Amino acid sequence: MTWETIAGWGSTALFAVGAFFFFAGSVGLVRFPDVYTRLHALTKADNLGLGFVVTGLALRAESWIVVLKLYLIWLIVIVTGATACYLVANAARGSGLEPWTRERR
Amino acid sequence: MTLALEVLAVVIMATVSLGIYRIERGPTGTDRMLSAMLFGTSGVALTLVLAEITGIGALRDMALVFALLGALTSVSFVKRAWGAEDR
Amino acid sequence: MSQQTATTISRRERIRLFVLRTLALGAIWVLITEADPGSLAVGVPLAMIGAALSVALQPRSLSAVHLPGAVRFAGFFLVQSFLGGLDVARRALSPAMPLDPACVRYPLRLAGDGPRVVLANTISLLPGTLSARFLGGDTLEVHVLDNHESVLADLAQVEERVAGLFGANLPPLQMGGDS
Repeated sequence: MTWETIAGWGSTALFAVGAFFFFAGSVGLVRFPDVYTRLHALTKADNLGLGFVVTGLALRAESWIVVLKLYLIWLIVIVTGATACYLVANAARGSGLEPWTRERR
Repeated sequence: MTLALEVLAVVIMATVSLGIYRIERGPTGTDRMLSAMLFGTSGVALTLVLAEITGIGALRDMALVFALLGALTSVSFVKRAWGAEDR
Repeated sequence: MSQQTATTISRRERIRLFVLRTLALGAIWVLITEADPGSLAVGVPLAMIGAALSVALQPRSLSAVHLPGAVRFAGFFLVQSFLGGLDVARRALSPAMPLDPACVRYPLRLAGDGPRVVLANTISLLPGTLSARFLGGDTLEVHVLDNHESVLADLAQVEERVAGLFGANLPPLQMGGDS
């Protein structure tokens, strides 16, 4: 097996995992009951999906500098995504939007 | 081996279209903003995949700009939707 | 830990920060231009302007990161954010959609704005927790997907990892009856 073959199949597997997390994040966005739970789905699943896609692309990248650049982009998305998540949750809490809770007792 | 990349691009676009349901249903502006955040992350992924398919490296710069703009849209949304009453 | 040296910083220290930040920004420039040598004519002056502006606006070095702690933190973060994504994917895709959300109040031990921002952002990426807002009195309100007893203990562990990243020590944990 050449490196080309290994990188090809390895990256394909990583793309499949990444696509799964993007799909799961979107399903969470559709199914979850309130803003806060939907934020959980978006922030965690989509960032992870992007991480897998970036790692798959890194296996196919033509140079090291491109690999580092791909991970720099992921890092920026993680940091801005988590910050945006806090801002939105903070604003929603500040506006008095109560979180959904399961009925019980 | 571009088939895997093309399939991935289609799947990402399909998951983005699920986000349109949330824009349609809302119920609050914040819920709609979440879809915009979804488009941001998916847009970065899609642009990076397209850069690999087409071999146009400049698309990676576009993904970088998407990543940076995503933060600004969220900040401006929060500022405008809730105003400056508590900050 | 919080030193008020912003106004009394020496000229020598400013030059040192300027050189370090020029190098850091230059490295990022090389990365985003994919090491195109022609672009350095623009990149080098821009890195210097950026470094000069940052020294003028933020002359203190940002809370120093502790290297061994940073390596441990990176490993912890990668594993936990993977588990976080897996957990939320499982909840979203399961037909029963197991959710029992609540807001819990976590009393912060970590001091300083920088470490607290890192903590809040880290919490949002870990399994089942999401930073909602900072309340007065050193309390962070956290939204959890599944309200179980060990949530506060889990958060305390995350806080210790973030403290390790900055080489800081935390006072021992007091488990109160906060909810």
